[in-house]
Amino acid sequence: MASVAAPAPPSNQHPIKGVQPLRAGEGNSFVLRRLHSLTGIVPIGAFLVEHIISNIEIVHGPLAYAQQVKFLNGLPLVRVLEWAFIFIPLAFHALYGVYIAIKGRPNVNVYPWAGNWMYLSQRVTGILALAYIIQHLYFQRFTGVSLPEHPGLAYWKVQYELSNPLMVAVYVIGMVVTCWHFAYGVWLFAAKWGITPGDRARKKFGWVCGVFGTVLCAAGLWSIIAIVNAPAVPFEDVMPAQQPGVMAPTVPVQNESQQQPPLTQQQ
Amino acid sequence: MAETKVAPKTIRVEVKRQATPETAAFVEKFEFPYRSGMNITSLLGEIAMAPVTTEGKQTTAVTYDSNCLEEICGSCAMLITGKARMACSALVDKLMAETKDGVISLAPLTKFPVVRDLAVDRSVLFENLKKVQAWVPIDGSYDLGPGPRQFPQIQEERYPLSNCISCTICMEVCPQFNEATGFVGAATIAQAKLFNMDPAGAVLKEERLRALAGDGGIQECGFAQNCVQACPKQLPLTEAISDMGRDVFVQQVKDFFAR
Ligand code: HEM
Ligand code: SF4
Ligand code: FES
Repeated sequence: MASVAAPAPPSNQHPIKGVQPLRAGEGNSFVLRRLHSLTGIVPIGAFLVEHIISNIEIVHGPLAYAQQVKFLNGLPLVRVLEWAFIFIPLAFHALYGVYIAIKGRPNVNVYPWAGNWMYLSQRVTGILALAYIIQHLYFQRFTGVSLPEHPGLAYWKVQYELSNPLMVAVYVIGMVVTCWHFAYGVWLFAAKWGITPGDRARKKFGWVCGVFGTVLCAAGLWSIIAIVNAPAVPFEDVMPAQQPGVMAPTVPVQNESQQQPPLTQQQ
Repeated sequence: MAETKVAPKTIRVEVKRQATPETAAFVEKFEFPYRSGMNITSLLGEIAMAPVTTEGKQTTAVTYDSNCLEEICGSCAMLITGKARMACSALVDKLMAETKDGVISLAPLTKFPVVRDLAVDRSVLFENLKKVQAWVPIDGSYDLGPGPRQFPQIQEERYPLSNCISCTICMEVCPQFNEATGFVGAATIAQAKLFNMDPAGAVLKEERLRALAGDGGIQECGFAQNCVQACPKQLPLTEAISDMGRDVFVQQVKDFFAR
């Protein structure tokens, strides 16, 4: 059996016009593209799930939520974790995602098929999610009262933000598009990495992802509805002057005023 | 007795034409007495017999690629009522029912350079097939003897992939196949799988997998799945891309540690 490939006949066309042939062995877009795919699942997707689950503590009121925020901000090397596992991967996925989206030529007007619509939706939801995340980070993480320092004001900060009906709409849309993007992203990941090659496997996994996305979205919307409908809390730190690493109890003890140190005024 | 549908009196066609690769495109309209059971290649033949537009202007016969007239050579792909299909298997009666005004429009594929009228240059597919060495390397200066045995299970999996007629419809309909990405397209990936699964062709497996990781390779697939919907030969293209996606990745990991 021949062990060496017969040389390919020379190209009879120099240079080719239109779409260029495969650049075999050239470039590093394969690595970047797989990295983009992977970052969508871990860490960003994993963080999204964590974020939505953590936010359910909103349902249990300001103190429970404050503790959740304090717990997360009390993780070892939390600022390093935040940059290494959230901001940098997210920035990469988002920017490379925009680059991918720009290079595509959606054609649902000609071929209005389900997969083609989902292809377009992955780009639209990605760009909407990016817009949402930018404003969300700006208003909730980087401006206003700093929650890592004052977790006790987390509930107030979110509730105040959502006292504006327009922001409620922004949050609801943000939640839906992000969960959509992630759920279909999980499906895409399985398809592209060869985890679900068969047609039936892909169809079945589509249902799994659909249910997963719906539950995730419902959980997120639940937190939004809970804090919008809850009685408005005053601008008051519910967990002031905590020793680092010390947790306030979920249910405040009876003679709370005697046990807690006096309210220190935050600067 | 139920009234049968009245047959239309004429067949009306609009053809997007272009004399040379460089000149501007224009549309010409044709109208013919209705005949049942026509396909687009026979319609184009009708035009060639009497190339006179609806306005009565004498024109030239429409240029297009075709050969087998039975959807097996893959040369006659074009946009028919806006969608990429094979002219020889596109039935006029069906198409007239599909369009609102009954007018059938013909245009060249949009992602390949026009040669003339409906004929386009699809050599990018040929180049891509060469890049992934989509063949079994059995050429030699001496008799190589009988090939290795191929189990029926493998044959069954390979047969659907061997049906590709290189029509490029899967590439035309793909949102990722364009000049910005230079994506290789579904057909080449499917052919790489076909020859990787061949017991003799597998000797080039690693090289094919490496080729598909180059720029414009398998990673550009966005899983819009138009290819598998549009392929006239019903190749299992998404399955091939998924399988090859895994194989290409595994090969890259192996190369990373072992090369
Ligand atoms: C909320 C955070 C986000 C999560 C959890 C997420 C998750 C994912 C996942 C899991 C995938 C599938 C990976 C794959 O295609 O194999 C994906 C794909 C994609 N993401 Fe994101 N993503 C997020 C934000 C964004 C943003 C902000 C953009 C910016 C536009 C974006 C653009 C894209 C695009 C274009 C794809 C499709 C890639 C393709 O089909 O080839 N994503 N995302
Ligand atoms: S895979 Fe199908 S659509 Fe693509 S070139 Fe082959 S026959 Fe045509
Ligand atoms: S003429 Fe051969 S496929 Fe149509």
